[in-house]
Amino acid sequence: MAGPDSRETVVRLDGITKRFGSVVANDGIDFELDDGTVHALVGENGSGKTTLMSVLYGLYDQDEGRIVVDGEPRTFDSPRDAIDAGIGMIHQHFQLVEPMTVLQNSILGHEPTTYGMVDEERARADIEAICSRYDFDVDEHLDTPVRDLDLGVQQRVEIVKSLYRGAEVLVLDEPTAVLTPQEVDRLFDLMGELRDQGTSLIFITHKLEEAMEIADRISVLRDGEKVGTIAAADATRERLAEMMVGREVLFDDEQRATETGEVVLEVDGLRVSDDRGLERVSGVDFDLRRGEIFGIAGVEGNGQAQLVQAVTGRRDVDDGRIRFQGEDMTDISRRDAIEAGIAYIPQDRLEDGLVLEDDLVRNALLGFQTLAPFVGEWFIDWDGVRDHADRIIDEYDVKPPDRTRLARSLSGGNQQKFVVGRELSHDPDLLVASHPTRGVDIGSIEFIHSQLLDMRDDGLPIVLVSSKLEEIQNLADRIAVMYEGEFVDTVRPDDVTEQDLGLLMTGHREAAGETPPAARDGGDLS
Amino acid sequence: MSRQGTVRSALDRAADRMLTAGVVERLGIGIASVVLAFVVGLCIVAAAGYSPLIFLNEMLLGALGSQRGIALTLRESSLYILTGVAVAVAFRAGIFNIGVQGQFIVGGLSATMAILRLAPFLPTGAVGGVALIVLGSLVGIAVGGAYAALPGALKAYADANEIITTIMLNFIALGVVLYLISGPFQGEGRQEPRTDSLPEYVEFPSLLFETGSFSVVGLVVALASVAVAYVLLTRTRMGYDMVTSGKQASAALYSGVRAERTIIGTMTFSGMVAGLTGAVFSIMVLGGYVDPQGIHTYGFDAIAVSLLAANNPLGVVPAGVLFGGLSRGGSFIGITTDIPAQLVDGVIGLVILFVAAPELFRMAARRTGLGSERR
Repeated sequence: MAGPDSRETVVRLDGITKRFGSVVANDGIDFELDDGTVHALVGENGSGKTTLMSVLYGLYDQDEGRIVVDGEPRTFDSPRDAIDAGIGMIHQHFQLVEPMTVLQNSILGHEPTTYGMVDEERARADIEAICSRYDFDVDEHLDTPVRDLDLGVQQRVEIVKSLYRGAEVLVLDEPTAVLTPQEVDRLFDLMGELRDQGTSLIFITHKLEEAMEIADRISVLRDGEKVGTIAAADATRERLAEMMVGREVLFDDEQRATETGEVVLEVDGLRVSDDRGLERVSGVDFDLRRGEIFGIAGVEGNGQAQLVQAVTGRRDVDDGRIRFQGEDMTDISRRDAIEAGIAYIPQDRLEDGLVLEDDLVRNALLGFQTLAPFVGEWFIDWDGVRDHADRIIDEYDVKPPDRTRLARSLSGGNQQKFVVGRELSHDPDLLVASHPTRGVDIGSIEFIHSQLLDMRDDGLPIVLVSSKLEEIQNLADRIAVMYEGEFVDTVRPDDVTEQDLGLLMTGHREAAGETPPAARDGGDLS
Repeated sequence: MSRQGTVRSALDRAADRMLTAGVVERLGIGIASVVLAFVVGLCIVAAAGYSPLIFLNEMLLGALGSQRGIALTLRESSLYILTGVAVAVAFRAGIFNIGVQGQFIVGGLSATMAILRLAPFLPTGAVGGVALIVLGSLVGIAVGGAYAALPGALKAYADANEIITTIMLNFIALGVVLYLISGPFQGEGRQEPRTDSLPEYVEFPSLLFETGSFSVVGLVVALASVAVAYVLLTRTRMGYDMVTSGKQASAALYSGVRAERTIIGTMTFSGMVAGLTGAVFSIMVLGGYVDPQGIHTYGFDAIAVSLLAANNPLGVVPAGVLFGGLSRGGSFIGITTDIPAQLVDGVIGLVILFVAAPELFRMAARRTGLGSERR
């Protein structure tokens, strides 16, 4: 690792302040990026990381402060200005034109021309030169439409695109969020290669291990302010977490459930199709006992969503059987499932879990509009619902504690705490939790995890779907790995490593890795 | 700051302003819009070579200047309020019932025919009159509801777009009703397509106003339908399901709402209000039933009434009164002056456009996500 002290500063942000109405997203933040280093920017969701980088990339105008690039103060009115100054940004959502080829995407907006025509030969040569210089595999796919590539390759196309535009500083916004563990390793290798050849990188993440693994220095943001910058060599997980959250965070592995009760849920040969009629769940069997968390791991889009929807009555079953508490529940409606005590934390709180344009009072009733005590035969007891909303807000520490706020105006973590609180408040007999901590800050993750474990210890059976391996490994008592509609294997969390799970997630039954990972890039991740 | 940023932040501020406006502010904005629209409209009247003063004077005189004028304004207002409620309830649930006009027509004819066919079995006089009005209205409500339930079921079970089916059913209603009143239901000895007249004792009592074609009862029925729709939407389970479906269909399905049942229920309720409007119209105004092609298109104008009211049943009342007043004042100008009808309609259209503009801006702002996050 390079000694940061001897390096020259390529980007300096001096006292950047950015306000949105009355909200201060960035409050006088100083930040320095040294030449040829990786500087990680960590913080909870809503701490101001992306805002700060959007200021640097010309997407927002700062209200105060200045940007200094290579020693010169600069003003960026648009990303175009930032790109001209040698700054590139890889967004969480890729900015690629899906039907166009990798080559076309790479040169888009900066096409080399001869007599006004795009000079494809020169473009090809330029891109190939970049690929061979940094050892990228993107040149293998130059004529493939981007939509046919998996996310890992698409991300590398984004990086090549930035390099082609002359980026010497690259900002990567949560680049690992969409990747499997193997691809994360690969990305880190590439980042190392870029750094060694003189590119400077800003790496936004909220995963502490990743920051410690790849970065030279780590800056922590909290509530729009910079808490501090430390050398990665001096960082520990505990210290970073404390800086991020503002208090001590416990990482102790929770005790596994030792005693489980009778079988509550039996799923037998289940087959489910998606909206387009394609079979997405192809014969899944499992049992769930009281007091047990059954984890379902997998790269998203391998049928987990359809499986969960079938169990919660949200989607029709093609074939197979679901029995819940001894009764056949295969063909029940969503309403029946709710009334039978099946609580459901949906994977998409913005789409399903909350009505964004409604306040928290109306949202407190969502899903329970047929149940006592808030609703009689016809009329809704809004006073009762208001008290109920206050209880959820209070017990689940939803901020701001104001039931009249629209669901839209809450941060992701607080939205999720509200959904979890609502679902657990009706004393369910089964909980199906789909990505319960997606896009949630670390403080709320800890809180939601402890709630799930408490409920488990009280005997609640839980189906937990997540693509976060750490979450599954820490919480689940058994883990099924789902790939292309089937369970590849069901394992005990203590018997496997993250690497083993990662391999299983790409369809390799031999967790030990005897099968060569041939499908690494060709694997269908869509 | 870049120019783009300046424009954007100005739009954000404007959007915030519109979205956070309170009831009083919105009413103030509405009144200011009417005044402004008249200023612009009267300039156009003047430019066309007519006297803007006469225009304004006749407009006000027609709508409010006499007891008869007020009665006719309230009659039109009642019908706009009723049909406005029918549209608003459906729109709130995210269902575009464009077929209120058709449901209004079939409801009206059914009420008329029920009264005519039942009259021989009931005593004449006040008691029989009340009984026939109630029975006729119930039949109108039932038929209007059924006629709307049909496109509801088509949407729920066959995924047929309700905008298209309800528009088609409007044409079918026109054709079938015209056929019926020219054939099987044609009044005895009549040459024109028209049913028998309702018995004289089947009429609303003329309280307060002496004008034959308006009774306060009609206005009371309209306000009662507003109250029922408001309670339905805000206090009941059914209403919660409807509003949630309208706001965010996926969240409604997640919450166990049965989409099919909610769609059919919403359409049925909307059609029932339209059918009731038809019954009120035939009993209070027509006293029988006539060629539906000559009947004013309350069901279509109601779409504008509802949008003006932001699809809120309570807002339908002022919106309906505005429409009623403009409509009555406009036809009065047509009678008493030589100002062309097109010019009158143009000014009325201008008023509606100005009054609706803030709401359109709000809808656009919500859709484009303008304004700060904190609303």
